[in-house]
Amino acid sequence: MNGDELSLEEVAKKYPDFPRIIIRKIDTALRGVTFTERALERAKEEDALYDASGDLGKKTSRPVLGGALFRDGTVVLGLEDLYLQFPEKFIRRGSPYTLDVVDGRVWLLDGDKPVEEVFFVPVPAYFGKKTRRGTPMLKMATPRFPCCLFIRIYNYCHFWEEKDPCRYCSFVKQDEGVYTPESLADLRETVDEALKEEGRWTVLFLSGGSDPRGNSAYENTANEYVKALKTLQKSFGTEKVYARIVANAFPRDQLLRLKEAGAVTYEPHIEVWDEKLFEWICPGKAKYFGRQYWIDSALSAVEIFGRGNVCTQFVGGVELAEPNGFKTMDEGLKSTLEGVEFFARHGVASSFFILWVVGGSIFYAQKQNPAPLEYHVRLAMGIRDIQRRYKLSMDFNNYRCSSGRPDVDLARLDFNKMW
Amino acid sequence: MSKLPKEVLDLISDSESIKVVSTADEDGNPHIAFKDSLTVLDDGNLAFGEEFEGSQTNVNLVRSIWFNKNVELTVRDKHGTTFRIIGKPYRYAHAGPLFKKFYLAEREKRGPDSELAGVWIITPEEVRNETYEIRKKEEDERHPFFRHFDRSSVRKIKR
Amino acid sequence: MNENNYELGFEELAAKYPDFPRLLIRKLDAELRGVTLTGRALERAKEEGSLYDASADLGQETPRPVLGGALFRDGSWVLGMEPMYLQFPQGYTRRGNSYSIDVVDGKLWLLDGDEPVEDIFFVPYPEYFGKKTSRGTPMVKVVSARLPGLLFIYLYNRCDFWMRKMPCKYCSFPTRVFRRKPGYTQEGLDDLYETMNEALKEDGKWINIVLLAGSDLSGDSPFDNEVGEYVKVLTTLRKSFGTEKIYAKMVASAFSREQMLRLRDAGATTYQPHIEVWDEKLFEWICPGKTKYFGRQYWIDSALSAVEIFGRGYVCTQFVGGVELMQPYGFKTIDEALESTLEGAEFFAKNGVGPIAIIHRLEKGTVFFSQNQKPAPLEYYVRLMKGISEIHRKYNLSVDFNNYRCHPTGDLDRLHTSKITNKPAGGEKS
Repeated sequence: MNGDELSLEEVAKKYPDFPRIIIRKIDTALRGVTFTERALERAKEEDALYDASGDLGKKTSRPVLGGALFRDGTVVLGLEDLYLQFPEKFIRRGSPYTLDVVDGRVWLLDGDKPVEEVFFVPVPAYFGKKTRRGTPMLKMATPRFPCCLFIRIYNYCHFWEEKDPCRYCSFVKQDEGVYTPESLADLRETVDEALKEEGRWTVLFLSGGSDPRGNSAYENTANEYVKALKTLQKSFGTEKVYARIVANAFPRDQLLRLKEAGAVTYEPHIEVWDEKLFEWICPGKAKYFGRQYWIDSALSAVEIFGRGNVCTQFVGGVELAEPNGFKTMDEGLKSTLEGVEFFARHGVASSFFILWVVGGSIFYAQKQNPAPLEYHVRLAMGIRDIQRRYKLSMDFNNYRCSSGRPDVDLARLDFNKMW
Repeated sequence: MSKLPKEVLDLISDSESIKVVSTADEDGNPHIAFKDSLTVLDDGNLAFGEEFEGSQTNVNLVRSIWFNKNVELTVRDKHGTTFRIIGKPYRYAHAGPLFKKFYLAEREKRGPDSELAGVWIITPEEVRNETYEIRKKEEDERHPFFRHFDRSSVRKIKR
Repeated sequence: MNENNYELGFEELAAKYPDFPRLLIRKLDAELRGVTLTGRALERAKEEGSLYDASADLGQETPRPVLGGALFRDGSWVLGMEPMYLQFPQGYTRRGNSYSIDVVDGKLWLLDGDEPVEDIFFVPYPEYFGKKTSRGTPMVKVVSARLPGLLFIYLYNRCDFWMRKMPCKYCSFPTRVFRRKPGYTQEGLDDLYETMNEALKEDGKWINIVLLAGSDLSGDSPFDNEVGEYVKVLTTLRKSFGTEKIYAKMVASAFSREQMLRLRDAGATTYQPHIEVWDEKLFEWICPGKTKYFGRQYWIDSALSAVEIFGRGYVCTQFVGGVELMQPYGFKTIDEALESTLEGAEFFAKNGVGPIAIIHRLEKGTVFFSQNQKPAPLEYYVRLMKGISEIHRKYNLSVDFNNYRCHPTGDLDRLHTSKITNKPAGGEKS
């Protein structure tokens, strides 16, 4: 990268129209957050700490935090996903923040300095419960804390199987198991139980690995989504299931199947815009069935689900990965925002996820660095400007749905204008 | 934080009081909304429920919490006693015990299809008594030259 | 003015000073260029009960129309329409073509040429107009008005500076109507009392009173008799109001401390001895009477010492904005003129005296009119009003008794009326 890297204070000063608290939020993703004993004790007192070791059949304790929010209701990054709350292998940018109790309140500390107040959220009421078959419910649906119910459709990715995973991906545990009538019953029971908690859930999120096999492209994957959607239709008693469907690039016939099963949204993620970088970073997607295929799928989904109900996602920062990535922020932004604008022009909204360099991913093994703070600020602003210009909303993928996406936070300022 | 006088606390806890929140958008356009749920928390902060994530009030409050802007709350009882509280948004709670309390109260009030997006918590910074009689006294003292001559306290001769 | 001073037009000024209300630039421009009424506008005024014929009151044979007042949308005066003696002026040096008030599509407008530029609203004339006291005096001769809401009591219109041929050079005092000789008699005071009682019957009409007279040097001490006349009027007003204090503007000569205490004891709450022009040399040239009786420093001291008696926020001094540009002795550029006048304004504010300014009216009957002087340009007034209002704000000093319903300076102060407390600001004499 060219030039000196700006500190948080410098970035905040340079971009006074960008909310300082969101800059802090991005920085927590880049630098990581650890807990002091006092903070964990406080979480326990507030019913915000759960030990999932029993559910997961582990002998050592497996703490899960019910969520941690900033004053503005946005998520302290890294703490929304129970698999990332207490990470062991992670490449960060700078020293981690700490969560501690100061004068009786929970604060995010930068070194010794309290910089933002943080609020814990109690763990969901369904935690610790089992289905009639004895399956721990949190294995059927795991939250993105505090209010997004996340259903992992299956733990299999063919790209990994063929040793062509996306390079930032740490999705390594392969399990070819598909939904059976029994596991669907477990899913139904779990969702019913979770939904008993009043005022808790605002988002459902379906995601899984990629399996391009089947009679038509990705049919195996589509089958599993359809099963889960039909189960959710029963749980809600409605035809439509208001959920995020993060999935592979389906052809039109599979998209129609999803729609019939109740899907109202759809997001096949392009991850990176530049053609050469797409091939390098997402070789599986490039092979099954190429960048244009993934783009076409998103575009054709707009006809089926409607404008404002389809989006794609970029992994912000991968376009700067060495040695093939862009050498400057300006070039990286130019390319990604060109992609965002292309999609917007066709009715597909965009978002970006901050690149986590997690143990198990190729980028981790390659010791890649996340992009600098300023890059994320500029990318968020750039994406937001384009969405606003095209009057393109993405409500189904709002700031409560999953985090790591500061452009989605900024959309809160437009909720009254765009729908 | 400005400590609220007992008179204001009583006014807020009076279920018949009218409670209004005033916010401004990015261009300074004013917006007001009625907030029957306005309440005083144990720590002296004020809280009210926001029904809709996409309301003008909510968007304005997000801007206020991000850019440190003021918000105004006005409370008035049936006798006309009126207070204006100027403060800053301290927190938007959409999960956790406080949110749940407001959420269930909304349920109670409006039934099983009610919605509540979150709870705004406001730290009061300044309190002003806006009751007509009080304000008149203040203004008469500050601006004696803005009074009409036919007022009984200005011209004391009976007509 | 120096030829190098390029003069900006209305639109150019509005673009150059975007923080200055466009409406107020228009107001100043209308004052500089003058405003005439079309026949249609006068007809409309009549229909709305806004046009009065004072000829009978004044014993004139020809009609003497009086308009009840004309206001802009923001409630401020269309200048020139507030004093009845200037509404239909005859001799006047203007800057540019006059505006007109006409009826367009059923509404009253101020027109610049053919273009309607601002809505205008007439106000019905006061109810006491046309009435007489029990002695038969037309009430409008006893108390006139700055229309629509300010009662105006001309104590007398003799000025010793005129008598001694050293009038202020912008002053048209002797030409004004409703003349009265110095020395209120008991009958005169009875007329005043009756008129005031009658005027005050009108609900929601009046908000202030101005007391004004020429400079009278006579008495045991100079100005003693002038003070005596103010005391008589104040005593009468006390009876009318039934109050100790009289909330009125007191525009008068520079009095001594003892004389001001007499006024205060008689009920006065405010006081304004006008400095007119700040620059020492120009003061001597433009106000020779004031210079002789008893010099610039005396007039300044009087205002400053009045603050102790009437309090901060209750004493003003007035500048005749633009006279410092009169030639051959005046400043050559508006920058220099403003620097001088605002220096004076700041000096007074620092000492608790509220500076105010009027727009210099080049009327027939003044020395300056006969000298063919030219009024100052619009930009000067924009900057002057802005500068003075900023000084009020900086020194936390109100000029409420010269508010926008009483005086042109008060307009911009409307934006900080709720904030100014009159408590001394930092770094200022308390």
